[in-house]
Amino acid sequence: MTDELVLEMRGITKKFPGIVANDDVSLDVRKGEVHALLGENGAGKSTLMNILYGLYKPDEGQLLLQGKPAVFGSAKDAIQAGIGMVHQHFMLIPVMTVAENIVLGNEPVRDGVLLDERGAEERVRELSKQYGLAVDPTALIADITVGQQQRVAILKALYRGAEILILDEPTAVLTPQEATELFGIVRSLRADGKSIIFISHKLNEVLEIADRITVLRRGKKVATVSREGATEESLARAMVGRDVLLRVDKPPAEAGEPLLQVDDLHVFDDRGIEKVRGVSFAVRAGEIVGIAGVDGNGQSELIDAIAGLRKIESGTIELAGRTLEHATAREMLDAGLGHIPEDRQVRGLVLEFTIAENIALHDYAEPPDAKWGWLFPKKLVERARTLIREFDVRGGGPLSRAGTLSGGNQQKVVVAREIARDPRVLIAAQPTRGLDVGAIEFLHRRLVDERAEGRAILLVSLELDEILSLSDRILVLYEGELVGEHGADVSEEEIGLEMLGGRRTAA
Amino acid sequence: MSTFALDNPVWNRLRDPRTAGIAGIVLGVVACFVALPPITARSPLYPVLVGIAAAILGLSAALRGLRRLGWGAFAAGLIGIVLGVLATRSSEGNLSIVFTASLIASMFVFSTPLVFGSMAGIFSERSGVVNIGLEGMMLMGAFWGVYGADKGKSWAVGILVAMLAGGLLALVHAYFAIHLRADQIVGGTAVNFLALGITGYFFFQLYNGQDIPIGVSTIPDVHLPYIRHWKYIGPAIGSLNLLVWVSFALVIVTWFVLFKTPIGLRIRACGEHPRAADTVGINVYAIRYGCVVLSGMLAALGGAYLSIGFGGGAYTDNMTAGRGFIALAAMIFGNWRPFGAFGAALLFGFSTALAYRLPAYSGSAATLFQALPYVLTLIAVAGVVGRTVPPAADGKPYKKQ
Repeated sequence: MTDELVLEMRGITKKFPGIVANDDVSLDVRKGEVHALLGENGAGKSTLMNILYGLYKPDEGQLLLQGKPAVFGSAKDAIQAGIGMVHQHFMLIPVMTVAENIVLGNEPVRDGVLLDERGAEERVRELSKQYGLAVDPTALIADITVGQQQRVAILKALYRGAEILILDEPTAVLTPQEATELFGIVRSLRADGKSIIFISHKLNEVLEIADRITVLRRGKKVATVSREGATEESLARAMVGRDVLLRVDKPPAEAGEPLLQVDDLHVFDDRGIEKVRGVSFAVRAGEIVGIAGVDGNGQSELIDAIAGLRKIESGTIELAGRTLEHATAREMLDAGLGHIPEDRQVRGLVLEFTIAENIALHDYAEPPDAKWGWLFPKKLVERARTLIREFDVRGGGPLSRAGTLSGGNQQKVVVAREIARDPRVLIAAQPTRGLDVGAIEFLHRRLVDERAEGRAILLVSLELDEILSLSDRILVLYEGELVGEHGADVSEEEIGLEMLGGRRTAA
Repeated sequence: MSTFALDNPVWNRLRDPRTAGIAGIVLGVVACFVALPPITARSPLYPVLVGIAAAILGLSAALRGLRRLGWGAFAAGLIGIVLGVLATRSSEGNLSIVFTASLIASMFVFSTPLVFGSMAGIFSERSGVVNIGLEGMMLMGAFWGVYGADKGKSWAVGILVAMLAGGLLALVHAYFAIHLRADQIVGGTAVNFLALGITGYFFFQLYNGQDIPIGVSTIPDVHLPYIRHWKYIGPAIGSLNLLVWVSFALVIVTWFVLFKTPIGLRIRACGEHPRAADTVGINVYAIRYGCVVLSGMLAALGGAYLSIGFGGGAYTDNMTAGRGFIALAAMIFGNWRPFGAFGAALLFGFSTALAYRLPAYSGSAATLFQALPYVLTLIAVAGVVGRTVPPAADGKPYKKQ
C-alpha cells in the first residue's frame, strides 16, 4: 500500500424524497489498499457506491480520480474510468457461458461482425491465470458453484480494466471455505496494486481483510479508522450508535420431550429432483436445533415439507405427539407449528395489507377476530397494538401498510404473529437475513427466550455465525442428507468442511 | 428376451428410456405415413403394427420415469394408428390428389407468413418484450402493403410501406411496454385491436371496403431454371414466391445475428437479465426498442406476403385471421430458437395445406388438421416433448435504478 490516492469522494450528498441517503460523506481510497465500508442496512453504503459506479448523480459533492475531477453519467463512464463492481447478486446470466458473461458489452470481434468466441475464451483463460482465479470459460453459469460465479464476476470487472474494485457484501453467499478463498484472491489483487472497496456489515471479516475501515450510520460518515486498534466492539458501537451485545448469552438447554420428529423424509422439488433424501432428526422441547448448509442443499424443501407446503414423497413427521400424514399447512399450524418463513416479503407478509391484517392472517376466522362469519376490524387492531408494543415494532401503527416498514420491523411483525399463537414447535428459517445488527440482536434474544418457554425451535440459516451462536445442537445438511451432528461447541471449520461434503458421517 | 438383449445394438440403445421415447414418437409418425403416398400401404395391418410398436416404446419410457416423453410417444402411436387406418380405408385416387409434390409447395405457401411472424416474435421476445401484437402488425403489413403497391405502382413500394406501417405500430407497443412499463399482454392485445380499427377504417375510406383495383403489382414468383422441370422437386420448389425464399434466408440471418454476433449476445442478455446488461453499459431500452420495431417490420413482411404475395393483390378485412397468433405459437413450439420455430412453422403450414386438400374425401379430417397447430402448441407448452423455456426476463418491464 502506498499513500497515493486513487479515489476521493468529497462531501457527497444524495437526497431521495423524504430521506437523505448520503449526507456530506467523504471517502478516500489509496492505491493497493482494501478499504472496508461498514454500516447497517440503510446506512447509505449502496447509495454511495451507486454514485461511484455512475448509477446515481450526487446532489452535492465531488469525485476525484487520481486527483482529477470526474463526472459519471452512467455505469459505462465509471467502467471506462477503471471502476468495477461485483454486485451482491452477481449480474450473471445463467444460460450463458462464463466467457460470454465476461465479455458481454465489450465483445471481441472477428471478421468485422462475428462474435469471436475463441478469442473471448482465450482472453478469459489469460486473465484467470494472471490473477489466479480458476474458472472454465466454456462452462455455463448455471452449472458452476456460487464461489466460482463470484470469481467470474470479479474477472468480469478485471476484463474491463478495473483498478478500483467494489465488492458488495461478497461473503453473504459463500461458505466459510469459499470466503477464505475469496480473502486470498482479494489479497493477491491488492498485491497487484488494485484498490478494493469491501462493503460489509460483518465485523469479523472486515477486521480480517481491511486496511482501513469507513463506518457509515444513517447516511453520515462516522469515522475512518485503520484496522490496527479497531475491535469488533468499537466498530459495532460506531455502526449502531450504542453498545451492542454481540454474543448471545444463554444458559445451557434443558431439553424435554421431543416435539418435532422427522423420520426418513424424502421430498422432491418443483422440477422433480429429490432434494431431501432420507432425513431423520428430532427437536425437543426447550432446545434450539440449527440446520447448517450451503444454500440449495434441500433446506427450503425440508422446511416446506414440515410446514405442509410441499408434498412428502415418503417418511413421517410427528408434531407434538401426533403423526401427520399429508397434512395441509393449516393442519400443521393447528397442530402447534409456528413458521417464520425464509422470505418475509414474499411468504411472511402481504405487503399491501396493514400490520393488523398481517397479524390476523392465521386467526382471522376465529374469535376474537371474527364471529359468525363476520370480521371485527377493531379487534384486529387491538391485538396488533399489543403485539407491536411487545415486539417493539417501530415505524408504523396497526393500520400502517406492512410494505412501508423496514426489513427488521417487518420481520418483527412476522415473529410476533407466529409466537403469539403459542406454538409448540417454531421453525425459524433465515430469521435475520438482511437485517442489521440491532434487529438481529433483538430477534436472537427473542428466540432464546422462546426456548426458555419450552418451545422446540428449528433454526435453518445460511449464516454459520448465527447457527453457532444460537443452537444447542447443530445438524449439517449436504445434498439433501444430514452429514453431521454436533454439540454447540463445534468449530466453524469442522462444520464448514461438512457443508461442502468434505466428510460424511452418519448422523 | 434377455439373451436377445445381450448382443443386439438396437435393443441396447432402446434400453435408454429417452431413446425409446423418441423412437416411439418417430414410429407414431411413421405409422400414419406408411399408408400415404408414396408408400401407400393398403392393408391397415401396417399402420396398426407400427403404431403398436410406438405405443409400447412410449409405455416403456413412461414406466421408466420419463413420463412426459413416454406418454407423448404412446399418444403418437395411437394417433398414428387412427390416421393410418383412416388413410387405408380411403381410395388410392383420393390419396394421390391430396399427397402430391405440390403439397410441399403448398406447405411453404402456408408456412411463410408464420416464418416471418415467428422470427419477428423471436427478436422481440429474446430482447425481453412479449409481442402478442404480432397479429396486428401483420395485419398492418397486409393492408398497407397492398396500398403501397397500388399507389406506388410497385410491389417494392408496397413492401416498404408495409414495413413502415408495421414498424410504427410496433413503436406504439414498444412505447407502452418499455417506456410506460405497461402490461405487455394487455398492450399487445390493444395493439391488435388498434390495427383492426386502423386497417378497417382506411380500407373503407380508401377502397370503399372492397374495391382493390385488379392488377395491383404483386411480389413475383421465382421460377428456378432447370430445377422447375425436375420430377417431384420441380413442383415442390420450382416456382415459389420471392418472399418464401426471403423467409428461408431470414431464418438463417436471425440465427446468425442472435447467436454469432455481439449484438445478438446483447439482445439475449437484455431478455435474460436486463440489469446485468445495464451494468456493463448496454442500453437496454435502445436494444428493446430496436428489437420490437424490427419485430413489427418483419411481421408486416409476413402480412404483405398475404396480400400482395400469394394473395395476388387482394385484401379483405382482418385478412391475417389469427396467423399472428399461430406464428407466436410456432415461436413457443420452437423454444424461441430460429430453426425450431422454422420447423414448427413448416409443421403448421403442412397441416394447413393438408386441411385444404382433405375435404376431397373427408371434411371432418380436414377440420381436425386445421386444429392441429393449436393442439401441438398446447402439447408443447405443457412440456410433453421437452420443456419450452422462455427468456428469463421475457415480458418483464425493466426499470433503471
